Order: sequence, then C-alpha cells, then structure tokens
Amino acid sequence: MAYEPKEENPPNWKRDFPIRQDEATHISRREFAKFLCLLSGGLALGNGYVVLSSFAFPDKELEGEHFVCNTSDVPVGGMTMFAIQGTREIPYILIHLSEGEWRAFEQKCTHLSCAVVYRDEVKKIECPCHNGWFSADTGEVLQGPPPRSLPQLSVVVRDEKVYVTAFNDTVS
Amino acid sequence: MSDFREAQDQAHPNKTNTLMLGIIMLLIGILSIQIWLLYSALNNALDENEDIAIAAFVGSLILFFTGLWLLKYLPDTRRRVNEEEQTGSKYQ
Repeated sequence: MAYEPKEENPPNWKRDFPIRQDEATHISRREFAKFLCLLSGGLALGNGYVVLSSFAFPDKELEGEHFVCNTSDVPVGGMTMFAIQGTREIPYILIHLSEGEWRAFEQKCTHLSCAVVYRDEVKKIECPCHNGWFSADTGEVLQGPPPRSLPQLSVVVRDEKVYVTAFNDTVS
Repeated sequence: MSDFREAQDQAHPNKTNTLMLGIIMLLIGILSIQIWLLYSALNNALDENEDIAIAAFVGSLILFFTGLWLLKYLPDTRRRVNEEEQTGSKYQ
C-alpha cells in the first residue's frame, strides 16, 4: 500500500480502528487486554464461590421417612414421579423393578438436568436428550455424556405403603 | 535513569505491536486454563470431591494475579506517547 501522510485530526472511528500498523498500538487493544484480565478475575471469583458453597453451605441430607404412594399404585416394571414436600423442590422417580424391589432416584440427568425415564424393556434409565443411560439398580452411568451417577434415595415398604429416606449404602 | 516504560515508548511500533500481541495471547491462555479449572472444580464439587475446588481456586487466583502483572508491560498508546514527545513533558 502506498504511503499516505497521517491525518491531522482523524475522526474517532479512525482513531479507534486504525489501518496503519504504526497507529495500531491503540486504546482498543489495550482495553481488550484489560477486559481479558477482568474476565480472569471473574473466573477466579467464580472458583471462590464454588469453594464457599461447597464448604459453607453443604447440601443437607434428607431427614426422616417420606410417604410416596401405595404399592398398588405402581405395577412391576412401572415408574412414578414424586417430589418431597417441605424440601427444596427436586423431582424424583420411583421404580418398581421387580416384586418387592424398589428404587428411587433424582429425575435430573447429571449431564444437563433433562428428565430421565425408566425403560422397562431394557431395564435401564434413559436420558432422552443426549442418549445417556443409567443402571436402574444403582444409578451408575452406563453410557453417554452424563459425568456422574444419579443421586439415589433408599426405599422402605411398610404396610403396603412406599416411603423414601436418605440413601445409605448399608441399607441396600 | 531510563526504565522499562521509557525504553518501550521509544521502541519501534513493530516491537510494541509484538509485545501487545504476546500479552493478549498469554491472557487468552490464562483465561482458557481458568475456564478448565472452574469446570473441573464444579464437576468435582458436585461429585463431593470438594478438595479439588480449593486447589482450583488457588490456581485460578495465581493466574489472575499473573494476568494483572502482565498488564504492567502493556505498551502506551501511540497518541499519548506522541503528545508527550511534542510537549517534551516526559523526558525533561
């Protein structure tokens, strides 16, 4: 490109986005670098928030037994959805795996929180959004993008009624 | 006595351009690592491995201060340098 002398008083837009390389160490790039640094500070703060929320406000464990439904309401191979009254609104599913075998899991997929459903024909839990599959027995990930198992509740059946409690490994 | 800033202001614009590009690239690299750290911390905190969140936070904070320190070496605007040269305010 032929050399052109610099303008005496260039308009603002020309000063902000110069064509000539020797004018290009300009406020716009300086500000961009500062903005990147500001973003970096924001990410560090975000990381601090993760630490704070995990240690200062840990998730409370479910207390006591909570009634879900009568055993006759869910046939073998069936599934029902429920939420526990008086707690943070988390959707759960109750699965009647086989005679006397019940399981309860959170219904939110651990990938992007889509609602998971029990598929009795393959005896697995499916997340239809991104083809994620979980074990209906333990809630472990079998396939797909979910990074973690489904959170589980313990199921207690008493007097033809189904209750759930906080999950305890020794119970199952 | 001449310092880094003075020497930088007297340098050829090609040099300051390269320095600017280098700093921006480093900052983008720092941001990418921080995004990865935040993602790992979140995923592990949800899986009840909270200790990783502390390590990620400390790492992220160190990276942020590194970025802040890098800003010290950002070249001045040409406009300001030219104005200072004309008035002679800086090198008297």
